[in-house]
Amino acid sequence: MTSTTKTKLSMHEDHIISVRAARKYFPVQEGWMRRVKGYVKAVDDITFDIRKGETFGLVGESGSGKSSIARLILRAYDLTGGEILFRRADGSVIDVSTLSDRDLRDIRREMQMIFQDPYSSLNPRMTLLDLVGEPLVIHGVGSQGEIRDRVAELLRLVGLRPEYLTRYPHAFSGGQRQRIGIARALALNPSFIAADEAVSALDVSVAAQNINLMQDLQEKFGLTYLFITHDLGMVEHISDRIGVMYLGRLMEVGPTDEMFAKPLHPYTEALLAAVPQPDPRGNRARKRVPLKGEIADAMNIPTGCPFHPRCAYADAKCRGEVPELRVVQAGRQVRCHHAETLDLTGVVAE
Amino acid sequence: MSDTTRTSQSSMPPERLLQLDNVGVHFPTRDGLVKAVNGVSYHVNKGEVLGIVGESGSGKSVTARSIMRLQPKNAINASGTIRYRCKSGEELLINEQDRLGRTMRNLRGNEIGMIFQEPMTALSPVHTIGTQIMRTVMLHRQVSKADARARAIELLTKVQMPRPTDIVDRFPHHLSGGMRQRAMIALALACDPALLIADEPTTALDVTTEAQILELLKRLQDEMNMAIVFITHNFGVVADIADRVAVMYLGRVVETGTVDEIFYEPKHPYTQALLQSIPRLGQSHGRRLRTIAGMVPDPFNVPTGCSFHPRCMQAVGGICDVKTPDDVVFASGQRARCHFAGQDRQAEAAQ
Repeated sequence: MTSTTKTKLSMHEDHIISVRAARKYFPVQEGWMRRVKGYVKAVDDITFDIRKGETFGLVGESGSGKSSIARLILRAYDLTGGEILFRRADGSVIDVSTLSDRDLRDIRREMQMIFQDPYSSLNPRMTLLDLVGEPLVIHGVGSQGEIRDRVAELLRLVGLRPEYLTRYPHAFSGGQRQRIGIARALALNPSFIAADEAVSALDVSVAAQNINLMQDLQEKFGLTYLFITHDLGMVEHISDRIGVMYLGRLMEVGPTDEMFAKPLHPYTEALLAAVPQPDPRGNRARKRVPLKGEIADAMNIPTGCPFHPRCAYADAKCRGEVPELRVVQAGRQVRCHHAETLDLTGVVAE
Repeated sequence: MSDTTRTSQSSMPPERLLQLDNVGVHFPTRDGLVKAVNGVSYHVNKGEVLGIVGESGSGKSVTARSIMRLQPKNAINASGTIRYRCKSGEELLINEQDRLGRTMRNLRGNEIGMIFQEPMTALSPVHTIGTQIMRTVMLHRQVSKADARARAIELLTKVQMPRPTDIVDRFPHHLSGGMRQRAMIALALACDPALLIADEPTTALDVTTEAQILELLKRLQDEMNMAIVFITHNFGVVADIADRVAVMYLGRVVETGTVDEIFYEPKHPYTQALLQSIPRLGQSHGRRLRTIAGMVPDPFNVPTGCSFHPRCMQAVGGICDVKTPDDVVFASGQRARCHFAGQDRQAEAAQ
């Protein structure tokens, strides 16, 4: 998987991001001497690519490492191992994990993030002009007047009135604040945006508005999204391809439609079965066997397949041997010893 | 304030456990009076699960808390009656009770249990799970400490807590989110309540844990023949657990009906629009989501007439923005608070 030469980085020309064998371990310290007693393997040997212009969905339970991956890509965290390649707007490829601070600032014009909590991610003492214009000021783009015009344009883009320029975030609802966050992320014309649970805190009708907005913007500017969520209905709606995470590992990667119609990993099957549907008759007809137990402690990851203690299909091999993420069908990868022999159920479309 | 409802002292039908009529709860604030709950009526029969859905600010939690009289001190109970049938069979007017009085203290925990979204706010962080359950049991029942402890372990077993004899001596912070939720359910069930009020109990949980807790609640409800008022904003969860559903918007119930009626034949434009804005598994990829125009108005400026009219695709000028609609009652018992409920136009919009 790793590139053959160190000097020349290469990736498939359709790809904008390539995460290769990425690892992030957090040390767990103990006592006043801060002795390291172990590591939390938040991200362990993750490899996947994001294609230019697509929406890549990342799903999994809390603690599975979804957010850590976004933070690694934007280099809010430093990698413990592996590499993360990014294709710049000019076509050149760089390894985000080895950039100097100065180059990093440059690269962040092209990659941005939208956060979950629209209340804590906006400074309450800054007006919309300051908030949305801040990235422009930092990167020295334009004069004061130009920044003002650009912010007004950005607000219009996300469906907020330009007259709101001088207002503070407290005057806005949760959905509108999320739009402010989107405008801020768009300020420097990025090509890639990581949205970490961007609509999870919103009400149904408002979430739908913002999702539609994000899709419009994607079409308009050719954006690539990494969409992180625990809401499977939402991820299915917005994503072209999906990665399913469990305990810091990718269990399955594939195109949305194929994966949801016929999952290859028992964990994907269990997740899909767990979602209650807005369909009372369907729920009654469907036999739901809830997944047993809970996600394991990230400091004591089970031996063999990390999912085996909760897996209905696990056998001796699963307990002893760690499965590799491997290609089983064109475009579909899975980390399961028995992917070929299992006949799993997906979502039955009505 | 409106004493007209008081005159209807007629008793509830025998199967009725809880009945709210025209309940209004207001909060005085610096910026004016907030009518958080503005004439809510719903009822729960014995052994039935009533789902209450609505967006934030619709008043679902405030209404539920007024059943327990667990309101902030500044809350004004502006109107309406809340009737409850005790285990003894007698009817109690909850809205007339002193919130700190003996009757309410006996009601809470003993007759009505309550579980919340965030278990850490409901459980004491400085007492073990066992101690907290034992205190509830000993408060309402004349039992010895040893018996209460045995009861605590029995309850933890009942909620399928792993290693109940060990967990009983643990503190809440030792437990995972799902286990805390189980501990809180055990606490709420300590005295076999006839009614459980569940306020968004699965919202903070992962889907797999949510499925476990929903299965548990359904099983317990069946075993104990307990009624549940289940508050949520998640239509999937409501479809899974509820027998009947009440949809709330801006402090009012806009539609009630059986779960099948609400999901397959919604009569109110708000219910219809909400159902269309949810992405559903297996049929939504790539399709644009239907949205509801605008946003929930702020509680100081509730629109005149039908409070949903500024966002309603089917609003008719001169009627919807002027006159507050009454419930339209259908033959099946389904109710919708819309001037045009059940008329042809609605049927085609539901398609």
